[in-house]
Amino acid sequence: MKIVEVNNISKKYNLNQLAEPVSLRNGIKSLFSKQEKSKDYFALNDVSFSINKGDKLGIIGNNGAGKSTLLKILSRITNPTSGNIQVKGKVASLLEVGTGFHPELSGRENIFLNGAILGMSKKEIKAQFDEIVDFAGPQISNFLDTPVKRYSSGMYVRLGFAISAHLNPEILIVDEVLAVGDADFQKKSLGKMKEVAANEKTILFVSHNLTAVSNLCNKTLHLEKGKVKQMGDTSQVLKNYMSEVQSKKMYFSAETFSSGLGNELIRLKYAEIKPELAKDLDYWTINDPFKLHFEFWNTLDDVDLNVSIHLYASTGECIFNIGNKPARFNAGVVSTDIAIPGNFLNDGSYFLSIMVVKNSSIVLANFEELFEFEIADFRENTTWYGKWPGYVRPNFPIEMKQLTSKI
Amino acid sequence: MAFYSKLFSEIFHERELLFILAKRDVSIRYKQTYLGVIWAIIRPVLTMLVFLFAFKNVAKIKDISGFPIQLIIFSGVIFWNLFANTFQAVSNSILANNNLVSKVYFPRLIIAFSSIAVSLFDFIIGLIVYIILSLFLVHTLPITFILLPVAVILVLLFSVGLGLLFCSYSIKYRDFLQMIPLIVQYGFFVSPIVYTAQSLQISNWFNIYALINPLVGVVEYARIILIPTYHVASFDFIYLSILTCFVTFFVGIYVFTKKESSFVDYL
Repeated sequence: MKIVEVNNISKKYNLNQLAEPVSLRNGIKSLFSKQEKSKDYFALNDVSFSINKGDKLGIIGNNGAGKSTLLKILSRITNPTSGNIQVKGKVASLLEVGTGFHPELSGRENIFLNGAILGMSKKEIKAQFDEIVDFAGPQISNFLDTPVKRYSSGMYVRLGFAISAHLNPEILIVDEVLAVGDADFQKKSLGKMKEVAANEKTILFVSHNLTAVSNLCNKTLHLEKGKVKQMGDTSQVLKNYMSEVQSKKMYFSAETFSSGLGNELIRLKYAEIKPELAKDLDYWTINDPFKLHFEFWNTLDDVDLNVSIHLYASTGECIFNIGNKPARFNAGVVSTDIAIPGNFLNDGSYFLSIMVVKNSSIVLANFEELFEFEIADFRENTTWYGKWPGYVRPNFPIEMKQLTSKI
Repeated sequence: MAFYSKLFSEIFHERELLFILAKRDVSIRYKQTYLGVIWAIIRPVLTMLVFLFAFKNVAKIKDISGFPIQLIIFSGVIFWNLFANTFQAVSNSILANNNLVSKVYFPRLIIAFSSIAVSLFDFIIGLIVYIILSLFLVHTLPITFILLPVAVILVLLFSVGLGLLFCSYSIKYRDFLQMIPLIVQYGFFVSPIVYTAQSLQISNWFNIYALINPLVGVVEYARIILIPTYHVASFDFIYLSILTCFVTFFVGIYVFTKKESSFVDYL
């Protein structure tokens, strides 16, 4: 049975209006002036799909792909410019945690307020009140009559999620709310989500966290620039999605010296970054060792050369800089190989630059941001899907054993 | 008609949310104030005292009407405050609750309606002060007092209707927000709040004026039922004002409902 049907919906925003503040003067002006060509921007463009009762649909895509707009239309917050949707059943949307919390009101009052806003009746909230407080944790139950403005942000989020977790709609729309709270609470939240997922509920779940999507959702919708790129079984969609986002800048090749990258002294001939397992897995995960191979034309005879490699996180911080001992080279093609082990970098986007250095001090060529690549998360046997912190993620052995059996 | 009955049944269905939002507004109104609810008394009393001073000591006006001037002014002021506070609250309701509007769906009228609560609460406090004042000055409260809810409902119909219109348009054109303080500031003086309509009633444009500004008819109606022996020459203007109250309310709701789905795009 189809529970959600989306037929050819589009959402158009007028860029002129977004850029220029809407005012009465502009409104009147546009009444009299000839219709100037309005620049339209389609946040969603002819999107159609349907899901069955009990489906858990993951929605993925880059920033600006239209995920949030889609959720807003599905939860009736905004109307599509064209097309229509049919939703059968009671919908609850969780686009943020603690919607409508009022800082001056106590935790107790906010439970009733937030519950009512999310569509629970007073009776339902009363019946589940103790459970909600219990789920939020002992810290909350001690401060139930304190205004929430005195809560720590962690407590705030925990209380908000605890209420949401006790909603009982037929269709649940969730936007990234799992990425909240400390690891312990995230584990609890995800457990609750799985519990919800286990029964016949229909869930639409937007997330950047592909691990969570692949664990929770049986179907996935991939949006790209407001259009449906792909919709189908989660494993297949994720595979295609990953192999696509990862093929960013991982290869360079030049036939002749003049077409190479660089200057009159040094020119890059060939460069490739190659994850070892990705061919089988279809996408590059953190446990995958990778190799960097490059060749360059050297025009100098009898020169001491070495290379220096910088790896940057997408935020700009340098994660490492490695170099080798200089060695003597003559004019011609020089080849370099570097192997970097798996279980070393954390998931994220990275840039890699290569420098060719003479006499370990003079930079002959600097190939900045030569490579750009992305490494996906990979986890086994875990119930926690929050963002793993840190730039590196080594797998150092940790030994733990019971010393005594007495306290 | 079907349009309105469907709408009101939808609102009735969500009445729990309406009440809890109203309760929220009332309970935070005087949070972290030392005097609390007393502020709801201070405001109208102070307004009355200022005008008493202006009339008696500065302008040296003798009692124009033969009715206790304190009751004339105070009844006018509490009804004016009911109008002004409701009108402003409803006009601002969507913008003030934009965190809700952009995150959850429910009929947006709920937000607008719930914002009446605070001004109604202040009105009731003011009314209690009025009753005490009336018992003290004229030692009686006329039996027609029980008709007071009619006057209250009429003021609410007008102020909510006007508020909904301003709310609907101000979300796209914030210019309308600039007009609100002007209306509240000057409306006070052009409506019979600190004076009675009796002096105006002889003018030939008076009935048209009562149609344009229904507060004229409604405030006078309130005085008739509140102040013993208070009377007006003719009731025609009151009926005209009542007509405007209803028309404004239904037009306001209609416009608001037609525009509500686009609110979120302009917030």
